[in-house]
Amino acid sequence: MRRYLEFMGNIGLFALRAVRRVLVPPFEFEMILRQIEAAGWKSLPLVLSSGFALGLVLALHTRTTLVQFGAEAKMPEVQSLAFFNEIGPLLAGLLMAGRVGAGIGAELANMRATEQIDAIEVLSIDSFKMLVIPRIIACSIALPILTVFMDVMGLAGGYLAERATSDLSVQLYISRAFHDVSWAAFVPPTLKTAIFGAVIGLISSYLGYTTDEGAEGVGRAATNSVVISSLAIILIDVILVKTIFFLFPETAI
Amino acid sequence: MNGGNPPAIAFREVSRSFGGRAVLNNVSFEVEPGEAFCLLGRSGMGKSVTLKLAIGLIQPDAGAIYVEDDNIVGMDEDGLSKMRGRVGFLFQSGALFDSFSLHDNLAVPLKRLWGQKPDEEIESIVQNNLDDVGLGKEGRKMPAELSGGMRKRAGLARALMLSPSILLVDEPVSGLDRVTAGEIDDLLLRVRKRDNTTMVIVTHDTREAHRIGDRVGVLDNGNLIAVGSMDELAENQSALVRALVSEAE
Repeated sequence: MRRYLEFMGNIGLFALRAVRRVLVPPFEFEMILRQIEAAGWKSLPLVLSSGFALGLVLALHTRTTLVQFGAEAKMPEVQSLAFFNEIGPLLAGLLMAGRVGAGIGAELANMRATEQIDAIEVLSIDSFKMLVIPRIIACSIALPILTVFMDVMGLAGGYLAERATSDLSVQLYISRAFHDVSWAAFVPPTLKTAIFGAVIGLISSYLGYTTDEGAEGVGRAATNSVVISSLAIILIDVILVKTIFFLFPETAI
Repeated sequence: MNGGNPPAIAFREVSRSFGGRAVLNNVSFEVEPGEAFCLLGRSGMGKSVTLKLAIGLIQPDAGAIYVEDDNIVGMDEDGLSKMRGRVGFLFQSGALFDSFSLHDNLAVPLKRLWGQKPDEEIESIVQNNLDDVGLGKEGRKMPAELSGGMRKRAGLARALMLSPSILLVDEPVSGLDRVTAGEIDDLLLRVRKRDNTTMVIVTHDTREAHRIGDRVGVLDNGNLIAVGSMDELAENQSALVRALVSEAE
């Protein structure tokens, strides 16, 4: 329990340091773009394929249930609400925690173990600002964009499943998918992933940047980054969903 | 010797422990401006810790550390950053940034520190420094493509980017064959002769200490047990010191 509280306290202090440093120039635009490429662009194939496959599988399962109630016409809407509200944001977050979180944890831990972070410091450069801040910002920018791609591919997978069993046209599928979907059902859940991204960047950076266990610490930082980031975004999701329901009551069905 | 100038580096009764184990115990020494001071000793005796203390990467448990006029113990980040602008550091592994090309390893820090300088000027400095260490045609290579000796030379080129008055060097020839080690030593000697750079060189290679160092300090179990020229150390009372010195012959 004490170790857990200590970890939470250290993460909190690390986050505070990040908030303070983010407002101080230089603003690291080049490093942020590099990290957006690493966290976002390079995650795109994984997100696209996962979104498509999950959309397909979800539609196959959902359709069976909807048919029993004679509501198969609602399938596109169920698909879009499921992806926009929860599956897209959460799955994109978990995929990023797995791919990017592990990468950040391992990369920074390796830099610590091989004295690269010390080398940055002795060159009179603030290593925290150069390495940690861009990763947190890049994750919080990249994840909402990846979530939109995940949503689109989920709908595409759903359409393929629908198409296999009916003659539904693309236009009608899209029309039904967006028929009763308000902006409030799409924008807040997508934007909440910016918080997921920041949490992934923060936790992974903390675990990598502060490790002092040499080569052994690299593997541990990578594993812990995935486990703790994933757990954190699931827990934070509960709070954010309740917050969204509170702020946009029409989204709470 | 120094004509009234303050020492380039001075340790005053510095102690440092890790996990209850004393790595440095009341260590005191001075390095005069322009001097090459070698710290000699077996592995794990606190040599690298001494260098990291000298550049503020680690803070001591007790004592004072002066770099030129400034006591860096307890100094804030801004003060340390200014001090580090005058001090270069060559890491044992080279510590090149994996994700940058060799050229960018030298250019990126300079661009960040001298953002207002024209790119052409920075490019010229980078190319000159790479040429100086014999890596002028290797700028596009990534660190993973470089041999151990090339990494050390690249690390040296980067350490010299800000034209430091003091150079701290951690085990410059460890893991290198005798010929490559000689080339690295030649480079260090050339830099010292050209720029009159103060050097603190940590090594376990007695021949290197003999070749480069004006004075040599011997660290053993966290204690500085002898300081002097190699000739003086050859007549030291400690059998360990005499044994280390005799390796150079």
